[in-house]
Amino acid sequence: MSGLEAFLAALTPLNLLLAVIGVIAGTVIGAIPGLTATMAVAVLVPFTFGMPPAPALILMGAIYTGAIYGGAYSAILLNTPGTPSAIATTLDGYPMARRGDGDLAMTLACLASVAGGLVGALALLTLAPPLSQVALAFGPVEYFWLAIFGLSLISALSEGSLLKGLAGGAFGLLISCIGVAEVSADVRLTFGSQTLIGGINVVAALIGLFCIPVLIDLVATPGRHLHVAAEPRGFRLAEAVSVLMRKKVNLLRSSVIGTIVGILPGAGGSVAGIVAYSEARRSARPGEHYGKGDPGGVIASESSNNATVGGGFIPTLVLGIPGTPPDAVILGALLVQGLRTGPSLFTEKATIVYTFIWGLIIATVLMLPIGLLLGRYAYKSIITLPKALLVPSVAFMTIIGTFAIRNSTSDVVIMIILGVIGWILGRFGFAAAPIVLGIILGPIAEQGFVQAWTIGSAQQDLVGMFFGRPISMAIIAFTVFSLASPLLMRRWRLKPEIAHVE
Amino acid sequence: MSNEHQPTPAGDAGTAIVAASMVIFGTLAITDTYEYFDFDSAVFPRTIAAALVLLALVILLQWVAQRTGVSTGAETGEPVESGGSWPRRIALVAAMLGAALAMPWIGFQVTALIAFAVLLVVAMHDPWTPARLIVYPAVGLAIVMGFYFLFAKLLMVPLPVGRWFA
Repeated sequence: MSGLEAFLAALTPLNLLLAVIGVIAGTVIGAIPGLTATMAVAVLVPFTFGMPPAPALILMGAIYTGAIYGGAYSAILLNTPGTPSAIATTLDGYPMARRGDGDLAMTLACLASVAGGLVGALALLTLAPPLSQVALAFGPVEYFWLAIFGLSLISALSEGSLLKGLAGGAFGLLISCIGVAEVSADVRLTFGSQTLIGGINVVAALIGLFCIPVLIDLVATPGRHLHVAAEPRGFRLAEAVSVLMRKKVNLLRSSVIGTIVGILPGAGGSVAGIVAYSEARRSARPGEHYGKGDPGGVIASESSNNATVGGGFIPTLVLGIPGTPPDAVILGALLVQGLRTGPSLFTEKATIVYTFIWGLIIATVLMLPIGLLLGRYAYKSIITLPKALLVPSVAFMTIIGTFAIRNSTSDVVIMIILGVIGWILGRFGFAAAPIVLGIILGPIAEQGFVQAWTIGSAQQDLVGMFFGRPISMAIIAFTVFSLASPLLMRRWRLKPEIAHVE
Repeated sequence: MSNEHQPTPAGDAGTAIVAASMVIFGTLAITDTYEYFDFDSAVFPRTIAAALVLLALVILLQWVAQRTGVSTGAETGEPVESGGSWPRRIALVAAMLGAALAMPWIGFQVTALIAFAVLLVVAMHDPWTPARLIVYPAVGLAIVMGFYFLFAKLLMVPLPVGRWFA
C-alpha cells in the first residue's frame, strides 16, 4: 500500500487540518531566531501522544518541514538564520532584500523549499530501503572528510582575501572546541571562566555573528533597513517561477544533495545548505554573482535544507537511526506510539507509514500557499515597521531566542560578545560566514578525526583508514576539485584574453 | 590586491591588530592544550590553533610588507568604513548586555520592558511627536508581552523570575 489508498487515507479532513496547523506553527517558530526545528517538534510531541499514529506523524512532519522553511524569513529579512539550516540563505537572501528584492527572495525561498521538500519526500516514498544503506556506509572518517569538504567552501566565501577567510575558519573551528570535550571530557579553552564551560552553542553563535552586526549598524544611521520599491509588486510569483526554471539544474542538484545529506545521521540541514550552496557557487555561470544577492544562492540553500526532511526520515524509519536532530525527537514519539522502526515497518505497518509519507507530501504542497502568504506578511511587517521599533524588537527577539536554547543567560552574554567580535572582524575584512562554518563543522570534523585516528591506530593502518576507503576517496576528490576549480576556471578564462593581448 | 580597493590607513592598522589578537588567542589555545589529561582532546584544537597562528602571522607579514612598500601580490580583504553614530552603537550593545546580566536578578519581564524602552530611545532618529510617544511604547509593550506569552506559556520556556522577586 503506497499508492492511491494511502494518498486517500492521508487526505482526511483531520490530517489536512493537522498539516495546515503544523506548517503554520512550524513556519512561525522557525522564523524566530533561536527557536529551531528540533525545539518546534519537541514542544509538539506531548500533544501527539493521544493521537492515532498517522495523524501524529503528519503533524510532526508538517511542523518540521514548516520550521526548516521558516528559518529563511529572518535569514532574508534580518540576516539572521532563523534555524541553522538557513545559514547559506543569508549569503544571498539578505543582499537581495537590501537592494529591494526581498519580496522576490521570499517567494523564491518558498518555491525552492516546496520543490526540495517534495524531492526528499518522494525519495522517502520510493527509495527508502535502498537509500538507507548510505547511512551505514558512512563511518567516522567519511564524516571527517565531509566536514573538510564543507570547509573547502571557505575559499568561495572569502570575497576579498582567502587568507582572512581561512583565518576566520580556523578561529571558528577553535571556538567550537570551547567547553567540555565530547571525546574525553577535558575542559578546553575556558581559561577559568564558568560562563564558557557549557561551550559556545551553535545557534547562539549564529544569532550573534549574523544579527548583532546588523543591529549595530542599523541603530547608527537614520536610513531605512531595506530598500523598498516605490510601487508594491505583490508576490512576484511569475518572476520567481521564471528564475526557478532558469536555475532548474541548481534546484534539482541542491534537492538531491539535501536528500543525501539528510540521510547521513548527524549532518542535517545546515551541512546540506552549505554543501549545496558551495556546489551552486562553484558551478556559477558568467554573470551570476553569488554572495552579492544572486537568486541561485537562495534556491540552493532552501531546496537542499527542506530536502533533508524527507531524506532524514529514510534512516529514521528504515534503520531506527535519526538522520537529523528533529528526527531523533520524532523517533522517540514513534516508540511511544508503539511503532518499532526497521525495514519491516514498511511491510508490517505499511498503512501508517505510507499515510504519513503522503501526509508529508501534502503538507509540503500546502506550504506553497501558506508560505507565500506568511512570507508576504513578514516582508510587509519588516519594511513598514519604523526603525525605532524594529531595532528593539529584533534585539529583544535575539535575547529571548538565545535564552530559550538552553535556558541560560550565559548564552545570551556569549551571543552579544560574539556579535561585537563579529562586527569588529567584519570591519577589517574578516567575514562572519567562514567563522560560522568553522563553528558548525568543527565538532563533526573533530569527532570523525579522533574516532578514525583511534580505529586506524588500533588497526595499525592510519593511511588506509584516512585515504583507503572508496567513499573517503570520492569526497577527497570532490574537495580537491572544489578547491582547484575556481583557479582552473580563472586560468581558462584568462587564456583567450592573454592570447588576444599577444 | 586590486589597485582600486586600497585599504584606508586606519582599516589597515585594524587588520594588523585583529591578526595580532588572533596570534595571541592561538598561542593561548596551544598553551591550554598542554593541560589536558587526554591527548585525544588536545590534538584537534592544537592543530587548529597552530594553523590560526600561522595564518595570522602571514596576514601580519603582508601588512608589514605593504607598509614598507613591498608588494606581495596577495589579496587582502577590504576594511569597511563605518559611518553613523558611535554613541548609539555603544548604547545598543550596553543595553543588550545590561539586560542579559540583569535578567537573573530582576526577572525577565521587568528587564525586557526596561531594555525595550532604552533601545527605543537609542534607535529613535525621528523627532518624538505626541502620537509616537503614545503608539511606540504601546507597541513595545504589546511585543514584549506577546513574546513573553509565546515563550513562557505556550513553549514552556522557564524565563527568569528574578532572584530579588522570587
